[in-house]
Amino acid sequence: MGVISKLLGIVLVVGGGIMFFLGSSDQNMNIIYYFLGLTIMAMGFSLLTAGGKKEEKPNPPTVTEIACDNPECTFKEIRDFQKGDFILKSLETKCPKCQGSMTIQGVYMVREEEPVPTV
Amino acid sequence: MQGIGADSEFSWIINLAFFAFIIIFSLYGAKFQIWQWLKQIEAGLIELKKMALESRETAIETFKRYGKGDEEVAKELDRWLDYFTIMPVDLDPAGILKRLDHLLDERRDRFQEFVTDLAPEASQAELQTLENTLEVTQVLSLVFRIVRHYYILGKKTNSQLIIMQVQMQLPDILLLAKAYFDSLDAFSEGKPIGDGIGPLVVTRFAREYGATPDSYITEISREVGYYPVEVEGRTVYALRATGPGGTVGKPGLAVKTLVEQNKGRIARIITVDAALKLEGEELGRVSEGTGAAIGDLGPEKHAMEQAATENNIGIEAIVIKENEAAAVGVMDKKILDAVPEVIERIRTAILKRTKPGDKIILAGIGNTIGIGL
Ligand SMILES: [Zn+2]
Repeated sequence: MGVISKLLGIVLVVGGGIMFFLGSSDQNMNIIYYFLGLTIMAMGFSLLTAGGKKEEKPNPPTVTEIACDNPECTFKEIRDFQKGDFILKSLETKCPKCQGSMTIQGVYMVREEEPVPTV
Repeated sequence: MQGIGADSEFSWIINLAFFAFIIIFSLYGAKFQIWQWLKQIEAGLIELKKMALESRETAIETFKRYGKGDEEVAKELDRWLDYFTIMPVDLDPAGILKRLDHLLDERRDRFQEFVTDLAPEASQAELQTLENTLEVTQVLSLVFRIVRHYYILGKKTNSQLIIMQVQMQLPDILLLAKAYFDSLDAFSEGKPIGDGIGPLVVTRFAREYGATPDSYITEISREVGYYPVEVEGRTVYALRATGPGGTVGKPGLAVKTLVEQNKGRIARIITVDAALKLEGEELGRVSEGTGAAIGDLGPEKHAMEQAATENNIGIEAIVIKENEAAAVGVMDKKILDAVPEVIERIRTAILKRTKPGDKIILAGIGNTIGIGL
């Protein structure tokens, strides 16, 4: 169905376009060709644009942000989300810098920015 | 003066075609439009069906991890997909919230019973998360069935009105369905969602003042507890639902209970929640106002307002602006980054509008999936 209507759309647009631009050798017929060509082209375009699908973008990956509990230590790590991670979970692994305890401070996704409105 | 095309031998054919064309379009233009609309609805319906089926698959896969077989899960799930709740009669509005509350409790009981039966090996937190997964699957199935209903009905009756309405609402419906479909990834994996910002803020705030998971007092109302903390000489009851399983609990009832337990001593109620942003507003924007920020069907909000009014307690709200997709989808970095500002505003509210010795309720409203105590 999709392919057929697309093909029909192309045929109509091209056919209408030819009628519209070339017209007739007969001066009087030109006006009819003009309107007819325009209408046929419009039909073709509406067939072409109907149900047009955009390419689906996959969601960005979810990441887990881990930080050392020691306020003096600045260790921070961002890795892929693993099942069982949750925000404020205390981890068993020790901080590689100061051997202190570590906590998950964030589980999040960085989505594409929405376009900034111009008004 | 010559007529149009009078000097051409076949001009009458063109002439006829031209007029036939105009007549056909003025008579059948509307039919053509309906046909186009139906095609558009059909395309949307295919999309909705795909989402409904895929979410069902995900739900089956998720439930399968906890002890029951493929077939049994699928069969039970299908039986459950059109579970409904009948809203209480509003012709006699007296006590309607109480009746609604009762029905919602009953509904949650049935959901929990169902999930426990279907996933016998799941832990408490996992059961809550499974419940969320089930609800999303249900919503997607319902949306698909409703749109399909109007599509078929419109086709059957050839009603321009029905078809037009569906076609016009379809983009919005698709957007909502897509938001829920994407949220399934969060719910089935136990990732935090944007709506969880309320409980997260409350926990972060409580931790700054020395609270630990062990100081959390559980079950003051269904699946809700609080951290008692001292802030600048005031006692703050930092209230939130129990995580990291996915639940919103009954925070309104919890506030009411706390107010009753501390009769006359609560000076202020501060609610923190995610709120729908307007298009064009920034994601993660913090704003504040008056009232109870909670988006339930009514009973919870009513309990909060009632408790505040009867005891003459000031009630204020701090919200974090999100769109539908961010609220039910995996937590966005921008929302997470709003936490320090919200905490700052809570601190300001406490310092400015209460005095030392007062007791304050800080309620973080939202789904606690993926947000630890
Ligand atoms: Zn460290």
